[in-house]
Amino acid sequence: MNIFENTLLIAFFVLGICLLLAAIRFAMGPSLLDRITAFDLIVANVIGIIVIYSKLTVDAELIDVALILSLFGFLGSISFTYYMLRR
Amino acid sequence: MNIDLHFVKEIISSVLILMGVFFMLVAAIGLLRLPDFYTRMSAITKGATLGMGLIVLGIGVYFNDPEMMFKILAILFFTIITSPVAAHAITRTAIHKKVTFWKKTNLEEFEEYLRENRLKEYAGQKKYPKEPHNSIKRADDTE
Amino acid sequence: MKTFIIHFIIAAFVVNWILVQQEWLEFTAAMSILIFLAVFSLLWLSALLYDKRYFIKIPKVVSLLFFFLKELFMANLKIAYDIMTPRYFMNPAIVALPLQASTDFEISLLSNMITLTPGSLGVDISEDRSVLYVHLLYADEGNAEKLKQELKNGFERRILEITR
Repeated sequence: MNIFENTLLIAFFVLGICLLLAAIRFAMGPSLLDRITAFDLIVANVIGIIVIYSKLTVDAELIDVALILSLFGFLGSISFTYYMLRR
Repeated sequence: MNIDLHFVKEIISSVLILMGVFFMLVAAIGLLRLPDFYTRMSAITKGATLGMGLIVLGIGVYFNDPEMMFKILAILFFTIITSPVAAHAITRTAIHKKVTFWKKTNLEEFEEYLRENRLKEYAGQKKYPKEPHNSIKRADDTE
Repeated sequence: MKTFIIHFIIAAFVVNWILVQQEWLEFTAAMSILIFLAVFSLLWLSALLYDKRYFIKIPKVVSLLFFFLKELFMANLKIAYDIMTPRYFMNPAIVALPLQASTDFEISLLSNMITLTPGSLGVDISEDRSVLYVHLLYADEGNAEKLKQELKNGFERRILEITR
């Protein structure tokens, strides 16, 4: 009866690997725009991690954090893009 | 006829979460592997959005609480509204900043747009640029 | 549109009232979504009496939603296959898609849907709003025209059926 917990642990592990891959692209991206793309992926990844974490520690309040982060990630990438365009 | 509803719920939820994680992994590998900025952009935004949506929905199915479900639908709604807008903005900036295209990209139908934009860019000045308008740089073949 | 908003608010209030007041139903997400859909479809049936246009349009909206989800899933699997195998089969191209949609709402809905479908990325719109430039991943030599027709018949036709 422990399938679900194991699934969550596997998901945690794989999301960590995704975070690492995105960080590699973030470090070596040729232009600033590649880094913004990697930042977008990192935000989506972190939302997934937070949501899974809120199940592991049974703390339903953490969903609010994911909700706020989904808005602020958009704001961050848009403001970086505008900075690029206006520079 | 006594199905364990809790068990069914866990199975559905874990299938959703595993699918989401798979798409997320594909997006991350694609971000590292694909040849140029535009193909990466076009593969990433969707993979990440779909993967995150499936993970969040899986957790929502597990908790099965109306208040939680409302917040999760809000997360899905915001993500689906905002992620294509961000993709548009980033791609448009990349074209205006002359980020290189992949060697195999077919740009025939796009020439007109590039020409117009180059003209607009130099409209305030008296001289037009010397190089031909369609001379957007191309990346070296990475394969 | 106005009818839709009114019906949505009524259905949400009914669900809230039923789940808070009554004792014999379980207070779960699945139950509340079921009750919401039931109340909403009852209200939709009642629209036959006073708003024919709304009555016709809701099934089209639902079919657009399902078509979009199917497209999202299939194309994502295709791209996943391409990324996982060592060689890529892609032939990227930027094509110009002539538009029939004219208002702001139609164009933004169409370009957002195109961007969310993997393998195609809306780049920009021309000055006179008649052409949408789309970056396609799988556009082989003779294939581009067919893909353009697919986008036009798939998304644009359905969106125009809803908004007009």
